[in-house]
Order: sequence, then C-alpha cells, then structure tokens
Amino acid sequence: MGRRVAIVGVGLTKCSSHRKDVTYPELVYEAVSGALADAGIGFEQIDAVVYGCMDPFDGVFAPERWCVDSCVSAGFLNKPFLKITTGGTTGGSTALGAYYHVGSGMFDVVLAVASQRVGETIEAQLVLNTAVDPIYERWIGAGAITIAANQASNHFHYYGTTEEDLAMVAAKNYANALNNPYAHLQRHLSVEDALRSRMISWPLRLSDCCPSSDGACAIVFASEKRARQIAKQPAWVRGAGQITDNYFAGDRPWFHDWDSLAMLARRVYKLAKISEPMAEIQVAEPYVAFSVQELMEYEALGFAEPGRGAELIRKGVTAMGGKVPFCPSGGTLCTNPIGATGLIRVAEAALQVMDKADKRQVPNVKTALAHSWGAVIGFHTMMILDKEAP
Amino acid sequence: MTRRVAIVAVGQTRHQAFRDDRVYWENDYEAAKLALEGAGLDKGQIDTVIASGWDAVDGRTISDMHTCMAIGGYLKDSAHVGEDGILALAYAYLRIASGQFDTAVVAGHGHREASLERVSSVCFDPLFARPMGANYLTSLALQANAYAQRYGVSQESAAKVVVKNRANGAHNPYAHLQSPVTLEEVLGSGWVAYPLRALDCPPESVGGVALVLAAEENVKRITSKPVWIKGVSWAIESYYLGSKDLSQIPSLAASAQRAYRMAGITRPLEELDLAEIHEPTSYHELMAYEALGLAEAGKGGGLVDEGITEREGKLPVNLSGGALSTNLLGASGLARAAEAALQLRAEAHGRQVAGAKLALAHGFSSLSGAASPTNCVVILERG
Amino acid sequence: MTQEEEILIMPGAWNLPFRHTAGRFASRFFRELRDSQKIYGVRCPQCRRVLLPPRPMCERCFASIDEWVEVGHQGTLEAYTILYVPFMGLPPPPLAMVVVKLDGADTCLQHILGGVDLSDPEKSKEVVKIGMRVEAVWREKRRGEILDIQYFKPV
Repeated sequence: MGRRVAIVGVGLTKCSSHRKDVTYPELVYEAVSGALADAGIGFEQIDAVVYGCMDPFDGVFAPERWCVDSCVSAGFLNKPFLKITTGGTTGGSTALGAYYHVGSGMFDVVLAVASQRVGETIEAQLVLNTAVDPIYERWIGAGAITIAANQASNHFHYYGTTEEDLAMVAAKNYANALNNPYAHLQRHLSVEDALRSRMISWPLRLSDCCPSSDGACAIVFASEKRARQIAKQPAWVRGAGQITDNYFAGDRPWFHDWDSLAMLARRVYKLAKISEPMAEIQVAEPYVAFSVQELMEYEALGFAEPGRGAELIRKGVTAMGGKVPFCPSGGTLCTNPIGATGLIRVAEAALQVMDKADKRQVPNVKTALAHSWGAVIGFHTMMILDKEAP
Repeated sequence: MTRRVAIVAVGQTRHQAFRDDRVYWENDYEAAKLALEGAGLDKGQIDTVIASGWDAVDGRTISDMHTCMAIGGYLKDSAHVGEDGILALAYAYLRIASGQFDTAVVAGHGHREASLERVSSVCFDPLFARPMGANYLTSLALQANAYAQRYGVSQESAAKVVVKNRANGAHNPYAHLQSPVTLEEVLGSGWVAYPLRALDCPPESVGGVALVLAAEENVKRITSKPVWIKGVSWAIESYYLGSKDLSQIPSLAASAQRAYRMAGITRPLEELDLAEIHEPTSYHELMAYEALGLAEAGKGGGLVDEGITEREGKLPVNLSGGALSTNLLGASGLARAAEAALQLRAEAHGRQVAGAKLALAHGFSSLSGAASPTNCVVILERG
Repeated sequence: MTQEEEILIMPGAWNLPFRHTAGRFASRFFRELRDSQKIYGVRCPQCRRVLLPPRPMCERCFASIDEWVEVGHQGTLEAYTILYVPFMGLPPPPLAMVVVKLDGADTCLQHILGGVDLSDPEKSKEVVKIGMRVEAVWREKRRGEILDIQYFKPV
C-alpha cells in the first residue's frame, strides 16, 4: 500500500470578494501561521513546501515567488518548494503533491499551501477565457458557467431534475456557510429567494453559482511517525487520486453523466477499501461550484443511483442533521478562491475528522471525503480521510 | 527503504528556432512518443504523467489540459508543475518512490508564442518591482554583475563559457544552434543588459523533451540501460533581489549538497564523469560551478581557463551545448537531465564522453529570473 | 479614515501579446471553411472516431492522425444553455449556446443558435430542444475563422 500519511494541522483565512486589508504574502502568511499553530509546530519543522494557485487571476504570475517567505521562510532557508497548477483542481492537486512528498519517504513534514486573489482581477471572466483554447474556442468567451449550465440543462432533460432541486442545494449550502467563520458569502437564502434570483445561463441562476473570492489555505501533512507525535487525532489519508479527461468537452457530450468522476471514485474507493459510500462515509466536501454539480456528485460518488441525485436533497439526506451531510462548510458555492478551493475541501474534511470543525462539526465522523474538479469539467481529485490509520 | 527509480527512455525533438506548423503541445507529443517507442511501451503501461511549463508562456490558463493529453495522460492520474520540466522529473520520482505508481512519463516544451520580456515582467509584484522594469533578463543581469564585480570576473571569462558551449552544441544533432562562435564574436555582440551581451544569453528554441521513469522492479523488462536516480533535491530562494547576496546561488548550493548526500558523493569534481548545467546566462554557469562545489567562490572561471570543463577535460560540462545552444523556456532543465541520461546510455552520438558512469544534471526553474528561482540537482548513475 | 489607516488600491493591467500557432490541422480546417465552405473532421487510425475540431493526435489512442473526413452541415443538438446576461465578445443576450454533433462526426462542436426567438424564457423550451436537428448558416464573406459558420439554426 505504501507509507501512511496524515494531516496534522490546518489553516484557513477569512474569504471575501477582495481582502483589501492584506498584500498577497500577508494573506498567505495568515493561512500558513494558522496551520502551524493548529499543528503546534514551529516553521523550521517543515521539510518541504508544495504550493498551488491559478496564476493569472492574481494579477501576478507565479505569485508563490513573491510569497515564498510567507511559506515558512522557504526562500531564506532554501527549502524544497514545488509549484502545482491544474486549474480548479489546483488545491486538490497540491494536497496530492504533499501526500506524495511524504509518501515517498524523502520528507517527514510537508506544508501544502494554496491561494487565490480573484479580487485583484476586475473582470474575472476575461481571465477564465484564457483557459479556452485560443485556436478553436476562445471566441466562446463564456467560461465555466455555460459548461455547468449544460450539465444542469441535460440533467433536467434526461432525469427530470427541477429548478427547485437546484434551489434546495443552494439554500442548504448558504445555511451551512452561516456556521463557517471563513466563508465568503454568509447570508440567508431560502428556496424562494433562490428561485427568484437572476437567471444567468439557463437554468443556472445567480444563487446557483459560486462567487469569486480571495482566500488562502495551508495544511500540514506528516509521516506516520511524526503524525503520531504532533497530533492527538490526525486525519489519515486512506486513499487519494486524480483523473485527467481530455480538453474538448464536445468529445463527451453526456453532460448529465459525470463519468470521469465516477471512474476516479471507483479507483479511490478501491484504494481506501470502501464499498458502500453511504454507509461508510459520514461527511463529504466535494467541489460544488454550481448547485447542479452537487446532485451529479451524489451520483458519481456512489451516494445515489445515476439520475436520482435529486432524491437526496429532497429528502434531506445531505443536509446538516441528515445521514451524510454534504458541504457543512457551505462549500464552494459560498466560497471560491479558485486555486485554493480544492485544498479548502481537504482542510474542511480534515477538520471534520479531527473534530475541530466547531459550529459546522458533523457528529461522529470517522471518514470524510474531499473532492475538487477543474478544467473543462474534466479534472478531478479525491482524498478520503479517516480517524484511523489505514 | 526508498524504492529505486530509473530513467528508462529519453525522447527529444530536433530543436529549432520556429515550428509554426505545430500547436505548442505537439512538441511534448513528439518527444513523449519517441520516448515511449524507445522504451517499447504504449500509453496503457504508463501509470502517471507529469506535464510542466508556465501558463503565461503558453498563453493559456490550465495549459495542462493539452500537455497532459499530449503525453499519454488521458484518463490517468496526472499533474502539472508550474516549473521547468526538471521538477516534473523530481515529482514523478516522488510518485514512484511512494509505491503508488510504477511508471511515469514527464515532458516539457519550448515554443515561440510569447514575449519572454513581457510575461516575465508580470511575475514581479506590482507594488515595488514591476514599476522598476524588473523582468527575467534584467534580474539575471543584476545578478551576473553582482557576481562579476564582487570577484573581479571578466567578460572574457564568461565569454569562454559561450565559446565552449556553442562548440559543444555544434556536435549535438538535436541542438538548435549548431554553429560555434569565437571569443571575438561573443565580446563583439551587442549589449542586452550589462554585463550581458547578446551571446551571453541563451536563444529561444522550439522543441520537446520527455523521459519515461520506472520503479526498480519493472526496469529490467523495459531496458538493459537504466539510468538510476541516485540523488535528487531542489530548493527555492527568497524573492526580493535587494534582500540577498546576488553574487551566489544558495538554492543551488543547498540542493547540490542534499543531492550529493543522497548519492553518497563527497568529491564531486573527482567522482562525476560529466555535468549538464542549465545556464540562464554565461555568468551563471561560472556561478553554478561554485555552488556545486566544483570551484571556490569567485574561482569558477579557472575551471574553464584550465580546460577542466571542456569536452576533453576532467569534468566536461554541457557536452550537449547547454541552454546556450538550445533553450526551451520551461524545459531547459529537463533537457539537461535528458542529455545526461543519453550520455550514461552511451547514446549521445557526436558528443559522447567515453565510459560515462556518474552524471549531474541541473535545472534552473524560474520565470522571474534571480527572484525566487528554484534550482534542482539530479545525480544519475549508469545501471 | 485617517492618513495612517488609508489602504491603497493600485491599478494594474497585463498587456501580453501572443502569436498562437494554429498548426497544420486547425489551419487546414479554417482554410476549408473559407475556401470551399466545407467542414472537416479527422479520423483516428485506431479508434476510427471522426474528431471535430481536427487535431494532430487522438488522446484516447495516443496515435497520430492524418485522415481527413468531410462532415455534414447538419447535425443534432446534444446540449444547450441560454445566456441572459451579456458576456464580453458575444452577441447580446438572450443567446443560446449549443453543442452540436454534425452528421458524420463522433464529437461535437460548441457554437451558438440563431434564427430563433428567445425573448420569452418560458417559450424557449419549445424553441430549443435537446435532440433537435440544426443546420449551419454561413457568413457571407468567409475569413477562415470558426465564425464563418455564423450560427446554427433549427432545421
């Protein structure tokens, strides 16, 4: 199987549309010092740093260079430092990077850091458009939302999912965010409010879409020996992985079926020895940038049969107090510092396992799932965390 | 006990000034195809791929949507490092050493779509450095000058590095620039940013480089000429140019020390048979000799004067011609590792050093020049 | 806010020019649109899929491609959305963005739907349907760009 690796500390920052009170290095420092404090270790104990962000949004390309010394004085101390960029999955890929750093046996304590300052960009859509292939598709300058709208529109057509189902996902996540002091959007949103919200790209309304946020996150990963020394209750990595689908979404027009995620879930569940997610996982923090994606994630992650995701939200299965709460933090729908978001999903799952999630804590969590997606709904990362070492 | 990892195949394109007939990622594709064919493997036998490069240089965000596909990543567990491809090699090493993957493809490319000056300027913070015209080249020039002034290194000393590398490149059938230059031509080339003249700076080249890596249990089924990764380390430096001693490269010294220790090397000048050093400028090769412990501080030029790093010397450096002959922006470091591997496999036609057994490859990963570069050192041994 | 507390916001902009090489495949695709008003895909020698837009290699098979196949100007609408807010560079809303599988192709093109009245959101569902047949409407003066197909209209 490989060496056991655990998360021993987590640091989050308050996210907002623009953290005007800090420079980039200061924002990163907030997350890093939070993680070190949470782990109760000094910065000199970090052996290596893995850093992720989606560069163009921040107005500085490769901002990790500018922020290098906020990351445990890595530049001053000439530490190993690796930059990861994989679109929306950047944060998730960064967690995987740190996991393999420790898993290799070369490093004992590794810091994963991810950040984004979408607030520095005046027109985020323009930046997102640069992800679109300039040869064939750049003229279709509508970015992520139209792809997600295709997912929703197809899910309605093939499975009978309704606008109300989407609104219920939004209302649930907004309510959850009220318990999360780090969340960006913190307000009451009823199902009625959601249904009255402005239509952006049918059938997705404003309430169905994530915000653009500034924020950073840091997580300390450790080898088995160090994890047991550092944390009372580490969050052990039980299984993890990534999948890469091709670029052209037109090659896979079955937008209602997130089969690339289903494939990854099968792989990771096999690694983690999970056969019945609904019975064996107590909380999930997947990447819900658009409300419909939560329903599709229920299905792809094996919590619902294909096409029947809406039943879970209608029955309250995934609400706080339900059988498997999804996005107790409010999730990406309420907070999206793009390059950091994937790492925040892992951080939130880790907090649940470590019983440190305060007001958003789900009771009796043994096993938590974190996921992120990116690119043209083609990249996914997944990590399963557990109270017990595998 | 860490699992051993070897390079089992190398692929590279014939590098050129322009390849406008291809989309940028075709460079990665061609190199990866050559590497897989060389290994007798198909994409199905690869567990993971790591792509590399900078989105700003590629002119596309999430560039790895394309480059991962180009190197066999379809539906695989892949990643992308926003670094020179030599860090993709390092990351793939970690993935295989962890036991979770057995085989990997890593690749990188250079293409001519961006203005290096413009894209590198946006790497600098908008508050202090960018308004002052900081970019890749100006920061490297500042560093070169700090080094030259501190130790009294002459322009001639640096020019000799260019003459050496270009002469070597002339024997490398893959190199972009395959023509030697004279000392007079170097010293007569126009000023770019003092003390750098045009010929002190690498060209911009188009091409691709790829490696296939495998875990030790798989190696003998793939190749009879494995190149073992005996040591690998990397390190980053501080960002603010004004807050460090520019006459040295401490991140290179630190990663070299760690890599040597891992490989059990105590006297690099004696033990290494060759080195492939990624020189972002001619001065930086001299600085690299010192950081790698091959010469004392300020004395790097002596190694060139005494012919030690020449083709026939005790420790030939950049038999491939180095970045001064072929410069893939985002993969020149990976190219150094590829060339070193070819030497150890006795496949470095035209530029082969006899009996090569132990080699050093170095990559300089930075779009921001001397501001927070990441230096990576890999020690390779013939199997 | 006192002078001590004043937080500065500094403007910045990236002006990064690029010269994107379209490569042989995209170049021929656009040339055929312009010169012969034909739409071409390419066929992978291994999986035999006809891929649109054309590309030098098939990602699934990791195989180089060199067979060109003409595809029809009509196709089936596989997915769509309707934009209700303006997006930079696109025609004004309401705008239907569609995914179309042209006859003879195995993969779809992303494009826009025209020649339909989308002004009433309630009625849009009758006007745009998954599975409906559509046809390319060509620009009068073709330039060798994807928008030489101005839009797709219902057949």
